[in-house]
Amino acid sequence: MATTVSAPAVEHRGATAVHPVRGLGTQAVAGSPALAIETRDLTKRYGAVKAVDSLSLGVRQGEIYGFLGPNGAGKTTTLRMLLGLIEPTGGDISLMGSAPGSPETLARIGSMIETPAFYPFLSGHDNLRMLADYTGATRSRIGEVLEQVDLASRAKDPFRTYSLGMKQRLGVAAALLKDPPLLMLDEPTNGLDPAGMADMRQLIRRLGNEGRTVLLSSHLMNEVEQVCDRVGVIARGRIVAEGTVSELRGDAALLVRVDRPREAKEIIDGFQGVAAVELSGTMLRVTARSDAAIDEAGVNRRLVEAGIGVRELRTDRRSLEEIFLTLTGGEERHAI
Amino acid sequence: MRSDFLSLVTAELFLLRKRASTWIILGIWLAVTAIFAYIFEYVSYRGGSSEFADSLDSLLPAALVSNISEGMPFYGGSLVLILGVLSIGSEFGWGTWKTLLTQRPGRSTIFGAKLVALGIALIPFVVLAFALGAVASTSIAIVEDVAITWPSAQALVESMLSSWLILAVWAAGGVALAMVTRGTSLAIGAGILWGLAFEGLLSAFASSVSWLEWLVDGLIRANGYSLVRAIAEPGGAGPGADGPGAFSGPYVSGTQAVITLGVYLAVFLGGSLLLLKRRDVA
Repeated sequence: MATTVSAPAVEHRGATAVHPVRGLGTQAVAGSPALAIETRDLTKRYGAVKAVDSLSLGVRQGEIYGFLGPNGAGKTTTLRMLLGLIEPTGGDISLMGSAPGSPETLARIGSMIETPAFYPFLSGHDNLRMLADYTGATRSRIGEVLEQVDLASRAKDPFRTYSLGMKQRLGVAAALLKDPPLLMLDEPTNGLDPAGMADMRQLIRRLGNEGRTVLLSSHLMNEVEQVCDRVGVIARGRIVAEGTVSELRGDAALLVRVDRPREAKEIIDGFQGVAAVELSGTMLRVTARSDAAIDEAGVNRRLVEAGIGVRELRTDRRSLEEIFLTLTGGEERHAI
Repeated sequence: MRSDFLSLVTAELFLLRKRASTWIILGIWLAVTAIFAYIFEYVSYRGGSSEFADSLDSLLPAALVSNISEGMPFYGGSLVLILGVLSIGSEFGWGTWKTLLTQRPGRSTIFGAKLVALGIALIPFVVLAFALGAVASTSIAIVEDVAITWPSAQALVESMLSSWLILAVWAAGGVALAMVTRGTSLAIGAGILWGLAFEGLLSAFASSVSWLEWLVDGLIRANGYSLVRAIAEPGGAGPGADGPGAFSGPYVSGTQAVITLGVYLAVFLGGSLLLLKRRDVA
């Protein structure tokens, strides 16, 4: 089996964007038509604390974008600014070319921020009925979205009797009520059991396949990995990396443990496509050029033909967790 | 756009209708009105208390306007202040502001719809109180075998409108307190303290400390009672100095009372809207 090795497309951002947001104009709201969400130097300061620090973000139309970061990294604050709930201290926001918080923008955004908030004395259905009057959605739409999130059977029960998972599902149902082209979901699987989590991720994936843009805020690596087309990693209010999951995980390496490592290194060095061979004890770490793949079976055969004992041979790719810990300085282990 | 706004008002009325607290406050208001405006006085009258020997006239249908509207600036105001606090302040407690503000309408529109719904919800407080008074006073007149004479339709309508204005000012005060404190507990506590204690004490002291009079002239309670007196019994003595809702002046003219109450309404609601528009919603 050949392991394809891609170019390292992701860089650490530090203070500047790795993939500069495309099409950013100089005006306050000058969004690129290709981007559903665009921010530039977005900042929110609470006294001396910068909750969001010069954050530049570009979410493309029709993609599921994972907004990944530990608790307190600034994800929810960013979402609140995007929805017009809080005023940025600085920077620009464009949502499908419009300003955040305006009625015409909000009409095209479905959102769920943090724990879903509804009227406790109203049933799930009646809560959505309230919101339908607010959004202009039809009453028939209420039944549809309740079915979509598998909550129809408990729709008549008061919201206060719902479990956390049911509240989350009602929150997603409310976000879908407007049938919006853009969804912002903040930790939507929070409180769901494993089956519920799988269902929710499937639903989000389906919504993405329908052509909607989804901004999925999460601190769960595997969730982002399973669902998202691209990922932005946020730490301490700044985007520290952005790219596809594959890009974030970077190059794969081939690990080979042999009994005569120096001879083995010389042999592997001569292989086509090999960029570097690092030696550590009896272990060789082989990385390929960005446009090439390593023929693992061929490496094995050549080493054996040379009389070198191959004790172990496997591909090694950094997990998203490792990438995340590297990017965030390993301080946010609790977020994984 | 108009139909959009009506949809919002409909939604807010649905919310108020579904809240138990709305019905509890309305029930307390009617019970308090029945007890203090009719039952207590009538039982005392029937008991032969000399203090209440002349009170039958005030319990008959002819006195309906003064008897009912006198409760508005006092316990009526306090109760609807709670209603106003709950209608806005509970949204902070439940976190539902963020839900509402991320739908489609703007903040001013949402706030406007909530106020219109609250204003409509005050109508039963006025109408049912007068209906209760009509039933109670008619019953007393029949039992006492006294001829039934009703106030004029104009007096009834004017009294109902002025009652609504008085209640609206107190409810708006509750809205403003809820918006300032972003909650319900402190707002209700502060509002009740202001309405029942602070304004009442200032009014009581004003009779002996003359320089307080100008201050009391500007209080909600004084203007509420002044409006009640101007409509219910022009040139009359007012609600009197004893018992619940006691107020012995100073009084201002009916016109001045309407203007002052209107200013309160505008300041409370304008200030609240300004806060809602400018504040971050966490």
